[in-house]
Amino acid sequence: MRRIAAGILFVIAAWPSAVRAQDEVTSRTELIEKEQDSKAQALKPAAPGKAEAYVTRIADTFLSGNMHWHAFWQNAYSGGGFTVGAGYTQFVSGYNTLDVRGSITPSGYKRLESEFIAPELFGRRGTLNVLGGWREATQVGFYGFGMGSSKDNRTNYSFTQPYLSAQLRVFPTGRFLLLRGGLEVSQWKQGAGQGDVPSVEQVYTPQTLPGLGAQPVYWHSQGTVGYDSRTSPGYTRRGAFYGVTVHDFTDPDGAYGFRQVDYEGIQHIPILREAWIIALRAYAQTTYEKSGQQIPFFMMPSFSGGGDLRAYASWRLRDQNSLLLQAEWRATVNRFLEMALFVDGGTVSPRRNDLDVKDMKTDVGIGFRFHGQLATPLRIELTRGSEGFGLVFAASQVF
Amino acid sequence: MRTRIAAFVILGGLATTVFTSTPAFFDDDPISREPESRSAANAKPLNIELFFEYSYNLFVNASRRPSERRAGNINTIDEVPDSSWFTNRVGTTPISPEQLARGVNSDAAPAPEKWVLLREKTAGTNPGFTARDANGVTWFLQFDAPEFPEASSAAVEIATKLFWGLGYNQVETFITRFDPAHVEIDSKATYKRPSGARTPFTRDDITRILERAARNADGTYRASAGRLLPGKVLGSFRYAGTRSDDPNDLVPHEHRRDLRALRVFGAWTNLVDWKAGNTLDVLVEEEGRSIIKHYLQDVGSSFGMANNLHEWDMGWEYYYDGPAAKRRFLTYGFGLSPWQTVPYTSYPSIGNFEGDRFDPTIWKPQTPVQPYIEMRADDAFWAARRVMAFSDDLIRAAVHTGQYTDGAAEQHMAAVIIKRRDAIGRAYLPAINPIVSPRLDAAGRLTFQNAAVDAGFAEAPTSYRAAWLRFDNATAQTRPLAETRSATTSMPAPTELASIAAGGFVEIDLAAESAAHPSWNVPIRTHFKRTADGWKLVGLERMADRPAANVPAGTGQRP
Repeated sequence: MRRIAAGILFVIAAWPSAVRAQDEVTSRTELIEKEQDSKAQALKPAAPGKAEAYVTRIADTFLSGNMHWHAFWQNAYSGGGFTVGAGYTQFVSGYNTLDVRGSITPSGYKRLESEFIAPELFGRRGTLNVLGGWREATQVGFYGFGMGSSKDNRTNYSFTQPYLSAQLRVFPTGRFLLLRGGLEVSQWKQGAGQGDVPSVEQVYTPQTLPGLGAQPVYWHSQGTVGYDSRTSPGYTRRGAFYGVTVHDFTDPDGAYGFRQVDYEGIQHIPILREAWIIALRAYAQTTYEKSGQQIPFFMMPSFSGGGDLRAYASWRLRDQNSLLLQAEWRATVNRFLEMALFVDGGTVSPRRNDLDVKDMKTDVGIGFRFHGQLATPLRIELTRGSEGFGLVFAASQVF
Repeated sequence: MRTRIAAFVILGGLATTVFTSTPAFFDDDPISREPESRSAANAKPLNIELFFEYSYNLFVNASRRPSERRAGNINTIDEVPDSSWFTNRVGTTPISPEQLARGVNSDAAPAPEKWVLLREKTAGTNPGFTARDANGVTWFLQFDAPEFPEASSAAVEIATKLFWGLGYNQVETFITRFDPAHVEIDSKATYKRPSGARTPFTRDDITRILERAARNADGTYRASAGRLLPGKVLGSFRYAGTRSDDPNDLVPHEHRRDLRALRVFGAWTNLVDWKAGNTLDVLVEEEGRSIIKHYLQDVGSSFGMANNLHEWDMGWEYYYDGPAAKRRFLTYGFGLSPWQTVPYTSYPSIGNFEGDRFDPTIWKPQTPVQPYIEMRADDAFWAARRVMAFSDDLIRAAVHTGQYTDGAAEQHMAAVIIKRRDAIGRAYLPAINPIVSPRLDAAGRLTFQNAAVDAGFAEAPTSYRAAWLRFDNATAQTRPLAETRSATTSMPAPTELASIAAGGFVEIDLAAESAAHPSWNVPIRTHFKRTADGWKLVGLERMADRPAANVPAGTGQRP
């Protein structure tokens, strides 16, 4: 009976003018026409509701190129802690943008920079980034060199760095083959560290720590050759990246110049239609001293923390060479959420031949990633290593 | 009683709901055409925001319970009359394979000797243009993705033919050729940049678009061309409610059977993208009146060709599917979903489309619109009969319009569509009392058919049972006459039927007794009017709102 009553109410509500029609109706067609006539007397514009109109306005703002302000979560240097920041993007042509942004952390890490991006060069196969800015890190950890360092021996240093760089990335064949080159000029001004632990100069001297107190100007040039079949570096479920990057850091004063070669391999192996993804990464950094020059301690390879050796403090391991191995078993929850069980292993050594997986510091963990097709706006991970737990919040994919 | 009959049959019993002075059946029942009597000339374009629509569908509609309300645009014999939404074709009208292959196409194909570009294609994932051909006719061109040559354009062609045959208004589409060497850019053509600015269309913009398209060996491109519709475009239609500026739009769209049936038709073709943006309302002049004609303008997201082939869950899960996501979350992905293991035969020109594991009852579009939620068993039965009306030859004719260069791909596509057709019939025809086409001849013999048995999807019942009642069309009161039984689909009327004079009505509740199908015990309700020539079927309710008095316990009203 409830259904019947509901039906009656429905009909009455939908066709109130039936009351007027009752005496005149002689056919089904006439009845319907009278209802149409009734509605014709009370037509209203077909307009979206308030909620839809509001969402439409927001969507239009995003899609019209008029969305200028954005959040900026990147701090000046890893280890700075929770970061707040904002940026303002302006199209300077149909495709090219200029972004001005800044961030700050409670520990005083500051970054202020501007970046010009031209993403459609060489028939849409090249992207040019020109970046200039200044940053300050107030309490970067230094624990000593090598695998024998202890987390209890932390010291802090600070630096400020003005920088100006240009980087050109080209896929000459449209995809897969990546060529990347860049030039940067910057000055690292290393100084005393802040925070609860001793400043680095209180523990070390320039004789025991190369580059202590140095303020070198670097002309940093780099070139990469790589194979990249990922759908996007920001989020992918398949594909691989294999690349070699050669860096040259030239100190015009001839004191702190060096070369560095980075090797990186990333492979994603989808299983059962990407229900699971085995993601593997190997990353090695090797440095080469220039004759008669030193590599400053703060330029030596290390691990930044949130994206590599995740259970350990930022910059916990440092030496002239480093090796990072990461494996993740990712599980797709839905189109927007992914889980991951992972293991990281990292080691450093003064000599390349001494990089040994047996000596690695390792961690394991679980992570959750909220992602789109191209990017990972939020990554949350809980991890545990030999020195305790780590909690990672990041706005990028780990690899 | 008469209230029960009329309350849910909007086109078939509106007045009788409220007024006892009107009859249950009019002389023009059952109507074959939904009247559109008033001008909608003042209707204005409507833009439906995609993000809001998706969010509403996924987070409101997905948890919505169906109202169980009878479809509102059916006539008194449970059929959908022709309208500005729908035209009865395959299943009611003889349609030859040649007619289906032609479909809505009534005019010449594009003249591809020269194209004049007007603007880029802004909706959907496949690249394309709006362009004028050598004859000056405007077309919407859509190319295939490089990884899947022929796939998208073939899907558009085939789906357009099938949906035309099913009864929907379709856009004229052809597969054509696009030669960049014979392209001009209209002087007023513009291209929308990421900055939001529209600036003059350039040669480089052509290259930009064609970079995402499958290129033929001779440098040309295969494209699907959709003809610009005549009339004033009013934007998309909503899958719920009515247009407040259209006087002829009386039935809430979620209660239109032709839209509810998309759940079955969509499952058949794997049409997953039901966004409003793929529909179109157009103001046209017909019989001297402006009416709004409603199109399914883009049915190309069919046969596994939605966005890309890595969206394996298309047709199996909504974009966001709470229960499935919860299962995978709690089991770390070990709670497998069917789409993770279903095998596909791989052809570059065919998407993820198969017929062996296909189950129409669990099929899902990208987002659930309200008619999808509201579909009842009688709607599904009606839709399944329409699908089953497509013969193998009709299906092959439709598939042939896809112009696959690989004959094996064409055969595979047709075979899968045939398998899915049969799966739909197997799922929905036996699920509810499948008695169809009741006839009462002048001699008083009642005959009918059993759609499930005739299709080979069920064993014949042990017997059929008919309850005969005298029906007063003025008061809707009934008085039992007799009950008859038969082991076949034919039975004589009781002698009492002779007492009904011309102009009188008889109500017959027809059921089948089958141990395998208890739901068949729930009778369909038919009404016949005695005419000078015999008996005319004027009423049929497959799921009668007033339960029959002689239904065995435990059969349930809804199978």
